[in-house]
Amino acid sequence: MSRIIKRPGTRELMVQLARESEGLSISERRDFLRKGMMTVGGLATAMAGGQAIAKDNNLPPMEPKWGKMLGHGVVEFPYGQPSQYESHVVRRTVPWLTAESISSISMSPLQDLKGIITPNGLVFERYHAGVPQINPEEHRLMIHGLVDRPIIFTMADLMRFPSVSEIKFIECPANGGMEWKGAQMEALQFTHGMLSCCEWTGVPLRTLLEEVGVQPEGKWILAEGADGAHMSRSIPLEKALDDTLVVYAQNGEKLRPEQGYPLRLINPGWEGNTSVKWLRRLEIGDKPWYHREETSKYTDLMPDGRARKFTFVQETNSVITNPCPENPIKQSGLIEIEGVAWSGRGKIKQVDVSFDGGVSWTPANLKGLVLEKALTRFSLVTKWDGQPWLLQARAIDETGYVQPTLKQLREVRGGNSIYHKNSIHTWKVAANGEVTNVQIS
Amino acid sequence: MYRSLKHTLMASLLGASLVVAITASASEKYNVGKTATPEEIAGWDIDIRPDGKGLPIGQGSVEDGEVLYEQICAACHGLFGEGEGRWPVLAGGKGTLKDARPTKTVGSYWPYASTLYDYIRRAMPFTAPRSLTDEQTYQLTAYVLYLNELVDDDFVLTHENLAQIEMPNKDGFFIDPRPDVKNIRCMQACDDPKTMTIEGTLKGITPVGHFIEGADAPAASHEGQQDLEREKAQARQAALSGEEVQSEQDAVSVSFSDKALAGKETFENACKVCHGSGIAGSPKLGDHEAWAPRVKQDMSVLVGHAINGFAGTFGIMPPKGGRVDLSDQQVEEAVNYMVESSK
Repeated sequence: MSRIIKRPGTRELMVQLARESEGLSISERRDFLRKGMMTVGGLATAMAGGQAIAKDNNLPPMEPKWGKMLGHGVVEFPYGQPSQYESHVVRRTVPWLTAESISSISMSPLQDLKGIITPNGLVFERYHAGVPQINPEEHRLMIHGLVDRPIIFTMADLMRFPSVSEIKFIECPANGGMEWKGAQMEALQFTHGMLSCCEWTGVPLRTLLEEVGVQPEGKWILAEGADGAHMSRSIPLEKALDDTLVVYAQNGEKLRPEQGYPLRLINPGWEGNTSVKWLRRLEIGDKPWYHREETSKYTDLMPDGRARKFTFVQETNSVITNPCPENPIKQSGLIEIEGVAWSGRGKIKQVDVSFDGGVSWTPANLKGLVLEKALTRFSLVTKWDGQPWLLQARAIDETGYVQPTLKQLREVRGGNSIYHKNSIHTWKVAANGEVTNVQIS
Repeated sequence: MYRSLKHTLMASLLGASLVVAITASASEKYNVGKTATPEEIAGWDIDIRPDGKGLPIGQGSVEDGEVLYEQICAACHGLFGEGEGRWPVLAGGKGTLKDARPTKTVGSYWPYASTLYDYIRRAMPFTAPRSLTDEQTYQLTAYVLYLNELVDDDFVLTHENLAQIEMPNKDGFFIDPRPDVKNIRCMQACDDPKTMTIEGTLKGITPVGHFIEGADAPAASHEGQQDLEREKAQARQAALSGEEVQSEQDAVSVSFSDKALAGKETFENACKVCHGSGIAGSPKLGDHEAWAPRVKQDMSVLVGHAINGFAGTFGIMPPKGGRVDLSDQQVEEAVNYMVESSK
């Protein structure tokens, strides 16, 4: 019996039984309830019809059904989950991009996100050998090479250092990479979703480097993961001393396994793969290592057949999140054009919006927090009355860099550089409010 | 009054001196963590540099590399390094870097041979990283260089000659010059609408089923896409034979033998990477059609192929799928699990 009562459906039924017995005399009521309790299973079918009517009657002036019953109690779900009605807000991938899901990428649902923080369960994923399940008791960070004292840290050791918490975006340099040669993806999640922003908590790498004592010849650091890919990148010491973090928490809780639990690097503003996950080793050297992920991959091929290396910075970028293909305009009248902007070089200073494909521009407002190397929200309230729009956003950062057009990027870089496509993006709004991805040249 | 003031003063003075005492100076260390021993460092220090720093003493021949490559690499990378499906192409592509569709391979793109040794050592084979010996890593590195016509078939790669190998594209890289484009903040008449061309997307390649009902589009996950393709294939078949499509629910009423149950974990950890999705020509778990002709053979034949390797019509099964760390018994159990799941 207790097992049955635990089911919300049954609970709902019992509340309904109680309500229906209200008009009866005390003895009749007792009888009704007893019978009802005894045949609760059978009644479920019988009541289904009645409930179906009630289902459509949750609107004024009727009292909604959830206002006439009890919900679940505390600690029913010790770790809370989003509402069942938000089950569509999930990470997604484009299956034909990679051979399988273990060395692959997924995208954050930017079309459904608010503010600048990406919830932990929705941060985009990129793995080269799947997600390792690491016991933090058995995880170690080794720092060695050109140092005075090579040290092995436990997780507890790392947590003894004073911590910092910083809100920073993280973006895969391949974000938008499918669009170099032409518009391809018919959804915001796939044109820009290799992008997330969290509050990261950990220790500045500088602090750990002071602890081991970097020797004067030390100029580069090799960061390496503990996963099956042993993902490795060479990081200039200059960056490490500037703002690199060794983090163990995101958005107030420990890192998710997908994000490098128990320890990862964060190189603010730099391409995501340099923020090595499941971090186990840092080696100080005098030269870079030229590993696979900084030669074969994550180098940008130019039209002359030569390639740029160590293309670290994620340059200023922006995109409109409302409207977008997933969020078409459903009603004419006032509308808030909203989106996110970000720059790997610092703060966003200004975002402009164009309704005519970049012929004329209107300044938008920045709203909420405007932080260095973090997602920044912009907003422009305007009116739409069914006129076709070619909607664009153009971000400018505090260095004065203006987000370029696709034409400008292509003129210099051609169409084969895969990475770092940060050009102005265009949504076409049709007379029926439908939004599609187009490119203007 | 005087007394209490004096006390207050003393208290704040004490407080001030305490603050000084507990604030660390910038140069002071936390003395956290243990000093790493040379042995501990040696176990994890696996990286190789272009100048050869980090290479273990040893060697490996192209000849030995060929045997090993065909066993554990060819299933994904192809017999000639041409790449199966969407797996990386290792050889060829010479002179294509300026093409509309360049082929970036070890030979056509990679600037240093050391990267090859380093990458095989840290991440390959895909299903069993860090399982190769240093000697095997030399052999495979030598063979991939041979596939790219960078060394002869009698070449023996060693810790001494690796750094001397000159890769064709060694000068093909330069330091990032960004910011490389300069847009200006124009506000009016920034472009001529008459000369603007607007291009849309190719339909049918984006997963849009979550917001466009009834769209003919790919799924938004690899598993979802496999299900979608299976459903389509079943529907095609049903349309041809006039039968009804068997529902998933009917199909999954499988009861496993003890042997098969024991093999489930091995399947999940080792076999699933290929047999979970049917890559590299492998029969996919639950694919009745793909397994039917295989199941017809004697179980011992099937297990034998799994343990010793087998070259089939559609792909190669490396010995134990490249997981030489598995016992024969574990492989046998996993085969039983796959067969019983796929009948």
